[in-house]
Parts: sequence; C-alpha cells; structure tokens
Amino acid sequence: MIILKHYKVDDVSYVSQKDILRVLQRGLKRAKIDVKYSQGFIPHMLTYTSTPVPLGVQSLAEYFAVECNNIDKDEFLKRYNQSMPTGMRAVASYYKEKNPNIAAIVTASDYMAKCSKPLPKEIEDIAKESSYIIKISKKGEILEKDIAPMIYSVKVDGNDLYMRLASGNTNLRCDNVVQHINEKFACDIKINDIFRTAQLIGESGSFKDVEEVLK
Amino acid sequence: MQDKLKDILLKVQKPARYVGGEYNLPDMDKPCKERVCLCFSDKYEVGMSNIGTRILYHMLNDTDGVVCERCYAPDVDMAEQLKLNNLPLFSIETKKDVKEFDLIGFSVQFELQFTNIVYMLDLMGIPYYAKDRGEEYPPVVAGGPCVVNPMPFAPFFDAVLIGEGEKNLKELVDLHMQCKQQKLSKKEFLERASKLDGVYVPALKNPVKRAVLEDLDKAYFPTKILVPNCEIVHDRSTIELFRGCANGCRFCQAGFYYRPIRERKVDTLVRYATELMDNTGYDELSLSSLSTSDYSQLKELVAKIKIEADKRKVKLALPSLRLDSFEAEIYEDMQGSSLTFAPEAGTQRLRNVINKNISEEDILSSLTAALKYGVKNVKLYFITGLPTETDEDLQGIVDIVKLVKQLHYKYGKSKLLNIVVSTSVFIPKPLTPFQWEAQIPIEEMYRRQDFLKDNLRIKNVKYSWHDAKASVIEAVLARGDESIARAVVRAYELGCVFDSWSENFDYDKWIKAFEETNVDYDKFLKGFSEDETLPWDIIDNGVKKSYLLKERHLAYEGKTTPNCIGKCNGCGANKFARCFR
Repeated sequence: MIILKHYKVDDVSYVSQKDILRVLQRGLKRAKIDVKYSQGFIPHMLTYTSTPVPLGVQSLAEYFAVECNNIDKDEFLKRYNQSMPTGMRAVASYYKEKNPNIAAIVTASDYMAKCSKPLPKEIEDIAKESSYIIKISKKGEILEKDIAPMIYSVKVDGNDLYMRLASGNTNLRCDNVVQHINEKFACDIKINDIFRTAQLIGESGSFKDVEEVLK
Repeated sequence: MQDKLKDILLKVQKPARYVGGEYNLPDMDKPCKERVCLCFSDKYEVGMSNIGTRILYHMLNDTDGVVCERCYAPDVDMAEQLKLNNLPLFSIETKKDVKEFDLIGFSVQFELQFTNIVYMLDLMGIPYYAKDRGEEYPPVVAGGPCVVNPMPFAPFFDAVLIGEGEKNLKELVDLHMQCKQQKLSKKEFLERASKLDGVYVPALKNPVKRAVLEDLDKAYFPTKILVPNCEIVHDRSTIELFRGCANGCRFCQAGFYYRPIRERKVDTLVRYATELMDNTGYDELSLSSLSTSDYSQLKELVAKIKIEADKRKVKLALPSLRLDSFEAEIYEDMQGSSLTFAPEAGTQRLRNVINKNISEEDILSSLTAALKYGVKNVKLYFITGLPTETDEDLQGIVDIVKLVKQLHYKYGKSKLLNIVVSTSVFIPKPLTPFQWEAQIPIEEMYRRQDFLKDNLRIKNVKYSWHDAKASVIEAVLARGDESIARAVVRAYELGCVFDSWSENFDYDKWIKAFEETNVDYDKFLKGFSEDETLPWDIIDNGVKKSYLLKERHLAYEGKTTPNCIGKCNGCGANKFARCFR
C-alpha cells in the first residue's frame, strides 16, 4: 500500500470531499497506476482518504492511501503529480505493508489562519478555559457545544492565528472556532486563508505528527 | 475580483462550480489577439456535459492567437451574492468581467432557457437588446440547437450562428480578429459577418444558409478535454459517431436539422476513444449520436473499443438504442440491468403516421431478447398529443405495457421487472413535417394524461408525465417570431429564470408576461396554413419545405417513408455536403 501526503490548496479547496475522491481516482487512472479493486458485485478502487477539511479550508497535510500492484513509491509520486489538477500536489510518499487507517488514528490537527489585521493576544486564553460553549448550526438546527476540551492550543503571531484542535472521531471545525473568536472578542477580523498544516496522533501533551508513523 | 470572490464562495451552494481549475485546462496565458467567452445558459453541471460547447471551447483554444474561456448561468444564490457585492458575471478561468471579452458567444440549447440569456446579460451588465448596445460592448452572438428558429431570441444578439460551429464560429472569430486589427466598427464587422455561411445578423435580416461540415471524419474533435472537479450531469467521456439521422421520424427536429448524415471512420473513433480514456481517467465512455445503433459498422466499432475499454476498466454506454436495430449480441456483452425503449406511440397506425418504423414484432422480439438476458428495468417513452391521436392509441400504450409484463412472466430471467412509462407532450417543432400542426389544448393534454394515469395503475409500473404547462410555453417559444423576445424579457422581470428546472417553472408568470407585452401567444399554438410564410423560413436548413410538406401529407394518409439507408428520399440536405447514406 502506498500512502501519499498531498496538498489541497487554492481552487480545489472548494471541492467537496466526495468529489475529491473522484478526482483522486480519475487521476490514478490517468497516471496508469495499477490500482487494486474490490471483489464485490460492483468493483471499486481500494483507496482511502484521511478526515476531510471543511469546504474552503486549504490543506498542506492530506493523506491518501492506495492499494496497488508493483509500483515504486517515488515513481507513484511522480506520476501522481503529473496527473492531478492544479492545487493537488503530493509532497511525500510512503510504502506500508498494512493500511495504517489514518482517518481512524488521527486525534488532532494543526491549523493556521491568515487574517486581515493583527490579532489581540488575549485570543490565546481561550485554550485555557475549562468550558467554552458555542452555538453551532447543524442541518438547520442550532446546537450548543462545549468546545473547550477540543481546543489544545491557540497562538497568535501578528496576523497569523495558529490552532491545534480535535480532529477525527471528535472533531472541531476550525472555521467555527475562528467565527466564534470573532464574536467573542468583538473584533472585525477577516480571514483570508485557513490551512490545515498537520495531522497528529496521540493525546494532549504527547502529540506527534502522523507522518512519523508512516516513516 | 479574486479576493471579493473568496468572501462569497462559501455563502453559496457547490462553490466548485465557479472556480474552474479542471484537469486539462488549456493555456490561458498564451499570446493572444482575441479573447472569446463561451456562455452556456444553464448551470455548470449541465453546460459541462454538453459535447457541442466542449468541441468549440477546445477548438478555439487550439487556434493560434485565440483564448476561449467559459461562463455558465450562476445559480440564483450566486446571482444574489454577485448583485449584493456589486460584482459582474465573470469567466470561470481567469475570473474576468465577461463584458471585457472581445467576443461573447451563447449556446442556446433549449427553449425554456431563453430567460436565462436575459438573466446572464443582466448579471454581465449588458443591455438585453442588440440595438441598445453601442460600440463599447463586444459583439454578442448565439449558436446551438435552438437556432432552427432563432427569431424569438434574435433581438438579443448581434449575430446568430446557424449550423455547425466548427465551421461558422471559427470563421466568425477569424473575421473578428481581422476587423479588430483594421480597427473596423462593430457595424462593419457585422456587415462582413453576414456574408459568411451560416451567420444571420438580425439587424440586417439577411437570408442565410446553414453552415455544414463536409467531412466529419476530418473535423476537429478534442480528446484532451476538461475533467471537472465536481460531479456533472453526464460525467463521462463521449465520442460522437456520426451527425444526422437516417430515420425520418416526423416529429423529430434533430432528425431533420442535423442532416445530411456524415460518419466518422471506425479507426478514427477508436483512436479518439483511446485518447479520451487515457487523458480523462473517466470510468465510462459513451458512444453518442442521434441513433447510435444505426452506425454502419457498429459491431466492429464496439468490438474494437471494448478491447481498449476493458484494458482500462472503462464501462461502455450505448445510449438511445432504437427498438428495430437493437442487437441482442451487443447487449449480451454489456449486461446492464436497465433498458430504455422509445416506441413513441401506442399503436401501429399512429407509429405509421409519425414514421417511427417499428412494428409490433420488432418490439416483441427485442424485448424478449432483453428479458432473457435478465433485464430488471424497462423504460418506455411515448409522446401524447401527436397528430391524429385518439383514445385507442392511448389504450395501445397500456396494451404494450401489459404485453411487456406478460413477456417477462414467460421469458424473464430476473424475478422482478420494473417498468417506467414516461410520456411527453407533442410540440410541433420547426423544420419537421409537423411544423404546420397545432398543439392540442391544455385541457386535452390533462385529459389524456389522466387516461393513462387511470389505466396504468398496474403493479410494478410507474407512470411519469411531462408538465403540460411547460410544453405549452415551450411550443410558443419554439414557434414564435421576434415579438416573443419582449415577452421573454418581461417574464424574466417577473422572476422567471431556470424555467427548464421544473421546480422553478411558473406558467402564470409567463402568461402574464405575454399579456402585458401584448404578444398573441395563442397564434403560435394554433396550426399554420401551408401557404403561410413561417417565422423561420428565412433560414435555409437544407431540407426542402416541399419535402416536409410531402411528408406531412403522407402522415395523414398513414403512409411511411423508409429510412434513407440504401436509398435517398431526396430531402435536399445533401446539397450542403455529401450524405453518407
């Protein structure tokens, strides 16, 4: 099994996860990679993605695993990059005997938001609060959610906001957090871009990059 | 523009439709003298599926000195955001204001998209009527299937391209480049354009001959096509086997408009198919034409393409198989679970009237074969309201359905058979032998649909019907003259947009628009007399009016005309290009 770490930036950040899977699979066909298929009534490619980022959020750390026959990981990366639309670029490839199931093992993600003006330092305090309830609209319903346990760290550096948030089984959307920071601190901050910069495994205090598992 | 767009993209549904970035995007930065924007008057998902605009888009981008971009009708939520943020409608590729292009082309695919032309012009900030647009606006031209009768929308355009775009659009763009170099005015450009084959300039009312490609096999066909990042309606690669149709079904506009018949060679098609599969990565390939099973070497073609398709795990799709030439052998190979047949009319008498040359035995034998191979779903398409139709013919539809059930009981391999019966309402379209006919009154449409609703209450049979009201408006828009344009504008002002999407269609608003603009729409629903000049008579489409008239008389006598495979029926279309058959 080959696992790719790839970017999903610029215009493709507006493409939904369901469509991204299709884009990836078509790319594999164009790259003439001998992908393995399921043995069911309607055979499908054996491909696996990591947890999706919300629409509009760009990512520098997406993972995509493919069951395929006889191909070198570097050759795979080269062909993949030749067959993908702009905005989808692979930066590393790994070979693993067994599927590491990245979507299941990831517990947190790092995000960076580029904002329109300098941010107040007090924003960093929201990571220290024991309870922080926000209202989230889900399928037309407004739900109250305590997000404090899902925020692991918040750092401000000039116009940039760095966040480490729960990801995977318990998931906190980075755009929700940004929106509520804006409301709480009554600041009129415009987010120009949000990036997911890393996916992590482990627990608070001992997080490590998922890439280390792949190496 | 890019920055402002970022703000609104997350406020609209399916933002991927507006950002482009598709695989195989042509070079937008090449040195160019002419920038063309091809507009499609429906949503991205529909427009990206259209093979005609796909061909023209890549053809222009493969031309030296020309860059072509696209623009689709934005959904209403996007339009609202554009207006709110004071942004004009923009091109997908470089997000450029559409009115800043050198030339704007619209593809008009369907009568119920006419309001979308006005909608898009409005969002572009371009006056609706060509007469109100000065030199500061680029020429806006139209093409597409609706140009059979361009009169209802002609006032919106500086020129209407009649016929095949590979020929006249290319010539028009070349001419515009020259005129621009010579610093000629728009008026002078249009005067010159009116001399080209297949270019109708509404302001000049010039008689026009349809532009036709002589050799389809040598015509441009793109194989490095755009692969969208989001799902579209026909999400697959398509090769066009031939243009034209040998079956003169008397209600069918496409069957007469796209004549003469011109085929591509088997080897050319296999090459296109292979290149398409390699360049797109699609897992489905469709063999398209008006009547694919009439391709002269279909067996050989399918056999050759199938070898390449199997290697790449690509599925073949064969659309619009006609009952009479349905080949069980082909089907055996491509075992699917659904089959679509279009007998169009319920009795042999009416099928003779409309010249659908299929007999009862043909239907029985092909269905039996299909059922033996284990077909689980059968879709049957019919038209109601055809000339001379009676309740007996409607009963004929019910009888066919019952017969299919019996056949399944006798021969069916699958346990369960679902039958879907769909009926549309007959619209007497221009350039058909039925162009002089009247459309049946709306009450009668409802009565006939009710008859079928009552009689098709059969287990595992689903009946669906096309909205009668939309058919009435479609008939008016298809058969109307230039007066219709002002009603289209009024309908848009009253809120009509995306009329072809049934959830948006509003009949009452349309009627109100006709009344407020004093357009006698009823005139276009009634029949025309045979000696009357019809709104579209200014266009020479190839097929002679006398031939259509002869066919009409044969219809009333219940006599059929054989298809033109083997023997020419003399319709007149071969004066433009040699008819393959």
